[in-house]
Amino acid sequence: MRLTQAYLALYNAAQAVGWATAFGSLVYGFIQEQSNEQIYDRAAPLIGWLQFASLLETVHAALGLVPSSPLSALMQWGGRSNCLFCVVQPIRALHSDVYALVMLGCWSAAETIRYPQYAAATLGACPGWLTWMRYTMFIPLFPLGTMAEMGLMAAALPDLARRRPYSLDLPNKWNFAFHYHTFIQILLFLYPLLWWQLYSQLLRARSKKLGGASKSAKKD
Amino acid sequence: MKLEVVSRSGRVITTLDINPDATVGELKKKFQSYNRKYYVARQRFTLPVKPGETRGTVLSDDAKRIADYGVSDGGRVEFKDLGPQIGYSTVFFWEYFGPMVIYPLFFLFPKYLYPHISAQPSAHALVQQAACAYWVLHYAKRIVETFTIHKFGHATMPIANLFRNCAYYWGFAAYVSYFVNHPLYTAPNETVSKAALGLALLMQAGNLRSHIILSNLRAPGEKDYKIPRGFLFNLVTCANYTFEIWGWILYSIAVQSIPAFLFAAVGAGQMTQWAIAKHARLRKTFDGKDGRPKYPRRWIVFPPFL
Repeated sequence: MRLTQAYLALYNAAQAVGWATAFGSLVYGFIQEQSNEQIYDRAAPLIGWLQFASLLETVHAALGLVPSSPLSALMQWGGRSNCLFCVVQPIRALHSDVYALVMLGCWSAAETIRYPQYAAATLGACPGWLTWMRYTMFIPLFPLGTMAEMGLMAAALPDLARRRPYSLDLPNKWNFAFHYHTFIQILLFLYPLLWWQLYSQLLRARSKKLGGASKSAKKD
Repeated sequence: MKLEVVSRSGRVITTLDINPDATVGELKKKFQSYNRKYYVARQRFTLPVKPGETRGTVLSDDAKRIADYGVSDGGRVEFKDLGPQIGYSTVFFWEYFGPMVIYPLFFLFPKYLYPHISAQPSAHALVQQAACAYWVLHYAKRIVETFTIHKFGHATMPIANLFRNCAYYWGFAAYVSYFVNHPLYTAPNETVSKAALGLALLMQAGNLRSHIILSNLRAPGEKDYKIPRGFLFNLVTCANYTFEIWGWILYSIAVQSIPAFLFAAVGAGQMTQWAIAKHARLRKTFDGKDGRPKYPRRWIVFPPFL
């Protein structure tokens, strides 16, 4: 187990450094009073790489390195990646939308806490305050980030209806049609339900982890 | 004897006075008279967790004496409310009735269900007609099996499952039917479709025969696991799933539609999960020790892959 432990600690540490840098970049741009679009365009490439790399977490779960469900990990990764790469990135106008910055801000704030907590927990040396942060800061950050994602998807709809990306029409020999614009509408409808499932799961995990006295912190 | 009934957090709910020879079922009836809200199917009793265990032993057999679980006078049992329950056959009926009715809607009322398509063909292709008949027949078969063949291991399940299962079956029925019965449907090679649906019908027959074999494994009142034998079971543990998976693959080949393949894939995934668990359970139970037979070497669900 020592090798996988070292690998996981390294992976989580690398993500932690990356997300902290991204968060720093957003804060810097905000302090420098740059335009929304400038702040977004400077932070987005790094965040894009971090998000892409986090697909590894599905692999970790599938290999049993961590106790999470691979399907759950894949779905969460898919939700964020869809928002970042397929919705916001291609639409220039959204880069200057304040929701885009709220989204990146919530993501990077949450990850700057979560990954260090994972790294420390993997090494068995997680301080109580870090566990507290991990299981508390999601309470405002998660709904705020989700609302930002939904706002961006809704704002993207007219553009998606016009551009029709990733879409296939009938007739074709596979008897299949896919309209990305409709898919996003359905996703917007399902988002609150999916969000609530995760949120309530985290709240329950919180009362288990923070409710009992000195328990060693474990990954979810 | 007196039993202390506690919640899983340790809070004492009540003390029940029951016959020392009472069964678990009688305990549950007694508990219901304490609180009418908790009908028998909703109650679950476990023994307190012993050192080394992660969970307490469940008092799962309603016919077994409580004393045989090691509970004595003054002992305590933990109560859990399983939430509102619904009968297995009720859930099965609704989850199969939906697809049986929803799929033909797209076939029968295209002008209403595809109002955005102005030019619609005057008749359906042969494969669309055959596929509709196959689909309806399949779900009718499932409903009949539910009430005549299947013997359920548990009587009830949590009511939330009704909505989840129906969402899955009804959702996919609409999704597949929408595309297969679409006015702009492109029919594949008719010979291939006929052959595929013909084979699919054979798979349904195989699935039916498998269900009958499974149903006959236990005599009324028996609760133990049995090794399925005969027909394809000699080669595959979950032969019933094998036929079912092949049935949907062949249906998808017949209609050549991606939603159909998706439905087949998701169903196959779920059945594979169940099959892996069942195979493991049978291998663990029939380990060849203490006079028990050894579970024979078999495929799990889908030769030559698994």
